[in-house]
Amino acid sequence: MDLQIQKESNATAVTITGRLDAVTAPEYEKKFNELIAGAETCFVVDFDQLDYISSAGLRVLLATAKRLKVKGGQIRFANVKGAVKEVFDISGFGSIFQMDDSVEAALANLPA
Amino acid sequence: MITVEHLSKKFGDLVVLKDISIEIKKGEVIAIIGPSGTGKSTFLRCLNLLDRPSSGSISIDGVDILDAKADVPKVRQKMNMVFQSFNLFSHLSVLENLTIGPVKLRGMGTREVEQKAMHLLKLVGLAEKADNYPDELSGGQKQRVAIARCLAMDPEIILFDEPTSALDPTMVSEVLSVIRRLAKEGMTMAIVTHEMDFARDVSNRVLYMDEGRIYEEGTPRQIFENPRREKTRAFIDRIRSFNYRIGSPEYDLYAMNAEIEAFCEKQILPRKTRHNLLLLVEELLQIYNPYLSATLLDLTLAYSEKKETLELVCESTGEAINPLDPNLLPDELGLTIIDSLAQSIAYSRVNDKNRITVLMNKG
Repeated sequence: MDLQIQKESNATAVTITGRLDAVTAPEYEKKFNELIAGAETCFVVDFDQLDYISSAGLRVLLATAKRLKVKGGQIRFANVKGAVKEVFDISGFGSIFQMDDSVEAALANLPA
Repeated sequence: MITVEHLSKKFGDLVVLKDISIEIKKGEVIAIIGPSGTGKSTFLRCLNLLDRPSSGSISIDGVDILDAKADVPKVRQKMNMVFQSFNLFSHLSVLENLTIGPVKLRGMGTREVEQKAMHLLKLVGLAEKADNYPDELSGGQKQRVAIARCLAMDPEIILFDEPTSALDPTMVSEVLSVIRRLAKEGMTMAIVTHEMDFARDVSNRVLYMDEGRIYEEGTPRQIFENPRREKTRAFIDRIRSFNYRIGSPEYDLYAMNAEIEAFCEKQILPRKTRHNLLLLVEELLQIYNPYLSATLLDLTLAYSEKKETLELVCESTGEAINPLDPNLLPDELGLTIIDSLAQSIAYSRVNDKNRITVLMNKG
């Protein structure tokens, strides 16, 4: 699993690559918490390059989103598709998170 | 064509073949399967006298080849062999590998032999490699040259001793397709192979060897779908199933995934099925995780091509407990995913072990 961070004008775009599973979920959580601790408050997570997600991955997405909410932050998910979207739909996560078809759309839908 | 009666082979005190009797008719393709070390290769090597049988008889077209007066080199010309490790002559070009036998052993003219060799190389798709040397070829190419070299001697029967076992999986199909073609053209062949789908497709008869004997024989359908005898059944079940034991919470998920992927590859399961299987296994193991420091978990995947079903069985030691009981789970996420991927989930207690059986959805 790899996380690429890109600062945009109104948010931090995080591109996640590979798998978000029981092995890589702790690493995602650690890196994301570092970003939140670094006073970042608005995030777009790009799932375009993510091949696989399990419940372990869903849990850290939820935990980090909750942590962000406590700080008054916002998060949107972009390009959730294929097998990853199926897991989101099965688990009901598709209705919990704000989802967009592209990073650009997600950035546009975040407050300025 | 070949009649083997009461063949046995010992190496010192070690009895490798006991009382093998079989007839191979012209045009038959015999697949020889079985666990390693049960004498399959030794049987082939006895047929063409690379190993001398300890007792019994082998007749080819009525001629007893174990007779002291038998012309062994002539036998070997009728019956040629393709080896697991190719055994090409490394100092000769591909073309020379094919021509040396007919020229030196049959006294044929070089031009005629070269023409035939080029024709055979075309048949195996390697005409452009005629002037290359073996070390310039891939494993699959070497084996195809080995088959062409065999054909250059106009054999009546070809023995294949695990022709694809030394090959990278990506090269196996190119060699199998050449062998399939030979089968279609009516070549008599005996093939020791671990490629079960190939054995089933290409052969008329399957010999399952075990305990140094032909333990069971039958049509491919009989052997692969309805094996009668216990060890044959166990062997056929094993090749269609995958087993993995987990003894601690620190198991290597990715190492296990790699083995599961290899199993899926062998069963030619579609990509989506593989993905769902890996997800199902991970979710089950995550649910078992709290118990893994005190229990042994045996995971078995069994694929039935006939029913197109994939079944997972998790068997764990320890007190009677159903790990999938929702009351025992911290949240429902894992179980929700498992439910969506499964046709059925059942818990039972068998021989003091907890057993979860999951039948995966098709597609």
